[in-house]
Amino acid sequence: MAIITLPYRYLERLAGTDRQTIIDRVPMIGADIERIEEDHVDVEFFPNRPDLYSPEGVARAMRGFLGIEEGLPNYTVRPSGITFSVDPDLAAIRPYLGSAVIRNVSLDEEAIESLMALQEALHWAVGRGRGKVAIGVHDLDTVKPPFRYVASPRNRSFVPLDFEQEMTMDEMLADHPKGRDYAHLVENFDKFPLIVDAENRVLSFPPIINGELTRVTAATKNILLDCTGTDRKAVMTAVNIICTALAEAGATVETVTVEGEEMPTLAPAERVVSVVECSRLLGLSLTPQEMARLLRRMRFGAEPDGASRVRVLVPCYRSDILHDWDIFEDVAIAHGIENFDAALPATSTVAQEHPISAITGAVRSVMTGLGYLEAIPFTLSNDRVLYTNMQREPAPGTLRVLHPISEEQTVVRTDLLPLLMEMLQANKHRELPQRLFAVGDVVVDCVTSQKAAAVSIHPAADFSEAYAAADVLCRELSLSYTVAESADPAFLDGRRGDIVVNGRIVGVFGEIHPAVLGSFDLEHSVAAFALDLTAVSGYPALPDTP
Amino acid sequence: MELTLNEKKLLVALGPMGSADAAVLAEKMDTRREAVVQYANLAGDRGLVDVEKHVARRYVPTEEGRAYIGRGLPERQVLESFEESIPMRDLQGHPLAKIAIGWMRKKGWIAIRDGVVQKSGNTAPGPDEAAFARLAEKGEIADGEGVADLAKRGLVQEEETVAYTVSITPRGRELLSQGLDLREEAGTLTREQILSGEWKSLPLRRYDVTKLPKRAYPGKVHPYQRIIDEMRGILFDMGFEEMSGGIVQSSFWNFDALFQPQDHPAREMQDTFFLGERRPLPAGYERVRDMHEHGGGTSSTGWGGTWSAEKAEQCVLRTHTTSLSIQHLAAHPKPPVRAFCIGRVYRREAIDPTHLAEFEQLEGIVMDEDVNLRHLLGFLKEFYAKMGFEKVRFRPGYFPYTEPSVEPEVYVDGLGWVELGGSGIFRQEVTEPFGIEHPVLAWGLGISRVAMLRLGLRDLRQLYRSDVEWVRETPTYGGRR
Repeated sequence: MAIITLPYRYLERLAGTDRQTIIDRVPMIGADIERIEEDHVDVEFFPNRPDLYSPEGVARAMRGFLGIEEGLPNYTVRPSGITFSVDPDLAAIRPYLGSAVIRNVSLDEEAIESLMALQEALHWAVGRGRGKVAIGVHDLDTVKPPFRYVASPRNRSFVPLDFEQEMTMDEMLADHPKGRDYAHLVENFDKFPLIVDAENRVLSFPPIINGELTRVTAATKNILLDCTGTDRKAVMTAVNIICTALAEAGATVETVTVEGEEMPTLAPAERVVSVVECSRLLGLSLTPQEMARLLRRMRFGAEPDGASRVRVLVPCYRSDILHDWDIFEDVAIAHGIENFDAALPATSTVAQEHPISAITGAVRSVMTGLGYLEAIPFTLSNDRVLYTNMQREPAPGTLRVLHPISEEQTVVRTDLLPLLMEMLQANKHRELPQRLFAVGDVVVDCVTSQKAAAVSIHPAADFSEAYAAADVLCRELSLSYTVAESADPAFLDGRRGDIVVNGRIVGVFGEIHPAVLGSFDLEHSVAAFALDLTAVSGYPALPDTP
Repeated sequence: MELTLNEKKLLVALGPMGSADAAVLAEKMDTRREAVVQYANLAGDRGLVDVEKHVARRYVPTEEGRAYIGRGLPERQVLESFEESIPMRDLQGHPLAKIAIGWMRKKGWIAIRDGVVQKSGNTAPGPDEAAFARLAEKGEIADGEGVADLAKRGLVQEEETVAYTVSITPRGRELLSQGLDLREEAGTLTREQILSGEWKSLPLRRYDVTKLPKRAYPGKVHPYQRIIDEMRGILFDMGFEEMSGGIVQSSFWNFDALFQPQDHPAREMQDTFFLGERRPLPAGYERVRDMHEHGGGTSSTGWGGTWSAEKAEQCVLRTHTTSLSIQHLAAHPKPPVRAFCIGRVYRREAIDPTHLAEFEQLEGIVMDEDVNLRHLLGFLKEFYAKMGFEKVRFRPGYFPYTEPSVEPEVYVDGLGWVELGGSGIFRQEVTEPFGIEHPVLAWGLGISRVAMLRLGLRDLRQLYRSDVEWVRETPTYGGRR
């Protein structure tokens, strides 16, 4: 999540209002206040609004929302005359480059920190961990245009940021902290992306590290921005957000010509949207004038276009506007989510319980009537509990997660009985008798179905108790069954039975094998049963695909 | 004053003696001493007898101690096995030499010089031997000089004996003199007693209502399941149909159908449990592909790039029940639809008191002609009010598959405003590929958090790995926070 630090004094100056108003109102444009401190507030903004990841961006939005300055922010760009070439060999490595020159920046320590924070937040939200987009800012006056973005041999060396010695790019991947973090993005390529100036001095090794040469300091007056990546749209989003944020702070933006294309334009995109569609979605009755006014508060350019439409100019930094409804949401926010009257539709519908719930509900009713307590065990378990402790072979079709988070949770349960045994183990110190049951999902061959299981532990628990409990549950579920001697190794031979329905074994009951009791650290005998609820009549047909 | 039959019997037995040891009374009454003490305490509470408790400590020989009885302590036995002196080597042949030599030296009975053991002449018995002699005679001794030494050597062990003397009081004597009805009191009425009418003249044993009963535990639905069932009840009341479905979902239904871009962080293995299994894509998946790539036939731009069918086929443990909602809508694209689901969802999180890798999610969807944002807020308000959260407010939110999105917050005493779930209207990019032509209101919440608030839990794991004692003691009704 992107948590942005907003220093009050800077924010107040940019937004033209006081800190309290901002703290009170910023949640209503879509944000969570994380921490209120003496001199700053930390705010979490949503991942679809990277344009709010800087104090400048927040101030721009709040000026509109609070009615201080509405409508489309105007950004003028002049040509810098600087050119950038892109090596065709990069097409398979990291093809896209966006660039701009930003002049007359005034950077104190706080402003540099804020710029770095914006860069990092964009790396996360837009750049997907630098893979999709990586951003570099450079002190323009330390290098000489034109610049070249090239695919370089991996043994090219330069001094990376925060280091004093030259090292090769291969060495950086092994020894520089950023190199280690991001090596996975480039290490499989024969050549590495590199940005150099007219004198072949290195500005950056994207997406890993900049050169020490172009480090931005408080003395920096002019910035060269590079954004490289694998997605052109995302690259330009990052360029637009950074350029407009610095422009909000008073800098001027100049274009760079990349392979003949002059960029950035910082020009808005146009959308003509329907007032009726918006009104119907939000439950408001808007006129084109009202809708346009609300949109201007969200910093869109907006004018009525005839009787039923609004012509909207979407600022270049609003990468979240994919669809007309994204604009309608901003209408709702400008109107104030708190100002909507809640209502219920007039349509009447009829409630319907799911047939599986009817069966599981019946199981609960019978088992609690027998004095059993319900347990709701985890569905993620492991081979030891499910199989080894139960002396059972792993069930065919057992689902294993590819990257388990712990050894305790490696497979999805195929049966509930082992989990009840585990529950008895955890409650060993509690008063006996303990009678527990569970009813719920199991997964075999990717198909989810439901089972029921019950255990009873006390010194006199025996086969007869298990049989009686299994029998009553089957009878109460209207399940006709026959019994055959079971071969289930979790139970004692001669004291175990299979529940058979239409020739299929759908359950088992009996006395748990003493060796299994030992595996679960239990000291008394356990009467238990398990039942596959798919055998119950009225169980819906299993879906063939999940 | 209604005496129990046993108290009466006690007074009758005690009468002639006036005062007696409980053991004596037990013999007389043909019962156990403990029972006599219990009757005596009851009668004592009524002022009919006095009960005096005597605690006596005595010492009896241990197994080792018993071996020396009649023979003397080892050092005495060994000392007496030789005359004035003996070579050490010879003395070591004595079976008790190991224990005895140390004690003889310690007591100053012998001196050892040049491998020869010489008696000192000062070998009179000490207090320990005197005590041991008394023990040998009587089989037990009271505490006294020398006993502690024997105890330290493990030759005797302490035994505590408790004796009770019961004495009749003047009131007890008076009552006894009036004559007592010694007929047996009836406990459980028998069938014969009820049918014959004998119950009318039977002395019935009275029970002490101030005594707590034996604690019984009923079979119970789990407290968490009760909350789940309460929520289901609320949604049924509001006209919702219940959905159910598989835990294993293809990425297509879990992500792509919900317009989650294929490079979304939630689709990385750090956050989601991926499975090796794959599922074929459903018929018409191309419309979802087109939506991702360029927005299909809507006003959307889509995400751009190339959509990978292979990525969509990979199975996951469902990360939300929204995967079931979209399949339900795809199967029922015509209005009205009002459906809900409560099911387990999976996130690849390390387990701690407030984070679990699996938990329940509730989700409701409403699709109808002309439903709008105000109706979404209306359903949320109604639902939360029925859940007991009277105060609800709304803020803008963000969820990848809804637009607009709203975050509901409820007011909880002691905690203030608490964010509880998320909501919104399904994006057209989600609904359009499945031919759903009307808005879909949707909301969801992690209900384990609600259960924590309601049940006053600090550790979410308690819901799933429950302490039996906690389930037994959590009331079935009420106790609501």
